[in-house]
Amino acid sequence: MATMLSVHLVVNGEACARVVPVHRTLADFLRRDLALTGTKVGCDTGDCGACTVLLDGKPVASCIVLAVEADGRTVQTVEGLAGGADLHLLQQAFVECGAIQCGYCTPGMLMAAAGLLNENTTPTDLDIRDALAGNLCRCTGYLRIVEAVRRAARGGGADRSAAVVREDT
Amino acid sequence: MRRLRPFEYFKPDTLDEALELAREWAGRARLFAGGTDLLVALKRRRSAADALIDLKGVRSLDGVTRTDAGGWRIGALVTLDAVARTADIRMSLAMLRAAALAIGHPQVRTRATVVGNLCNASPSADMAPGLLALDARLRVARCGAARTVPLTEFFVGPFKTILEPDEIVTGIELPPIAAHTAGHYAWTPKITAVDETLVGAAAVVSIADGGYVREARIALGSVGPVPSRARKAEEFLSGRRADRRLFREAAAIAAAETQPRRRAEYRRELTRVLLERSLTEALEAAG
Repeated sequence: MATMLSVHLVVNGEACARVVPVHRTLADFLRRDLALTGTKVGCDTGDCGACTVLLDGKPVASCIVLAVEADGRTVQTVEGLAGGADLHLLQQAFVECGAIQCGYCTPGMLMAAAGLLNENTTPTDLDIRDALAGNLCRCTGYLRIVEAVRRAARGGGADRSAAVVREDT
Repeated sequence: MRRLRPFEYFKPDTLDEALELAREWAGRARLFAGGTDLLVALKRRRSAADALIDLKGVRSLDGVTRTDAGGWRIGALVTLDAVARTADIRMSLAMLRAAALAIGHPQVRTRATVVGNLCNASPSADMAPGLLALDARLRVARCGAARTVPLTEFFVGPFKTILEPDEIVTGIELPPIAAHTAGHYAWTPKITAVDETLVGAAAVVSIADGGYVREARIALGSVGPVPSRARKAEEFLSGRRADRRLFREAAAIAAAETQPRRRAEYRRELTRVLLERSLTEALEAAG
């Protein structure tokens, strides 16, 4: 029974422990308690996907997960994607394909895509679109985002002409 | 930003502990697993709770298992994602996989549970029609007692179930599927951020020698206050030669039985179309 609980979890490969109010969401915990503001809050009701992080490798809407529900679990946020390198393959592909405009949906898109590629290294376009179905973007019209994920799945693009987006997507 | 109001939080390790908490906090606590309906309702102030009882620590509530009779048990903690991935379900209960994939989006399905979808009791709950058509029953526990409730008796009104405040649904029981029997779930969404189902039609068809309908079970969602079986259409189909014309007639009978509250004419038409499709697909899969 509690209104404050201590949580122990691994975030982006690092163990951390904090005492949190039980009604704090995982999104708020990441942003406020851990200063990991890469995860964004959009609708705050689990619909838009901006707050997507990986919880034990699976994509979740962190705005409707309580921080205490992550006790004993692993969380990966966009800050952990690159793993020390400059940019993860996905991030590089997003940049090359012009898949980022305002950038607000981007962390959520990246994490949803990372979740996909973690378990499916050869996704079809339908697989990509299904995996991103929970991530809304108001800027790009999605085509370049799908292209970026497709490119990252192929190991990145040797060809640097990211301007052309295929019509058959 | 939508802040949650503070609450007490419990995470019992055993079913007995959970039942004890449910009894002690009856009426003041909410049970949750995935939280994809509850936390949103709390944020929107459509629900309130002095305490949350997190069931995810009660591991006995998880898992999809086969019964000795050849049926299934789906535990209360089984997520929609798990339903979509379980090979056994994909093979024999493909209709339930389709229904699970109709709900929300990947981030929701990672957390949301089948039982949670039923207990939320939305008139458009996507897991309901398929499970109704499969004659599902729910195992319900309280301190010192347990009961089995046919799903057909579970929903009493929009967002209202037959559950007492101190009861916990521990799982779903499905009878074995007879030979030459298959089901299908067809639906169409509202075009909104949430893509809630506008009409859902599930059909399970058993075919006898000569192509006659031995039994048909039909359940509809989002066309009445609760998801429910279309009994008149089922009776109509029984014993008749299965073909497209028969299914068209049955779908029309079912559509006439519906009581949609809004967009009624359109929903009846959708019922007619989607149910004919479900019956046809079920027949094909029943071989």
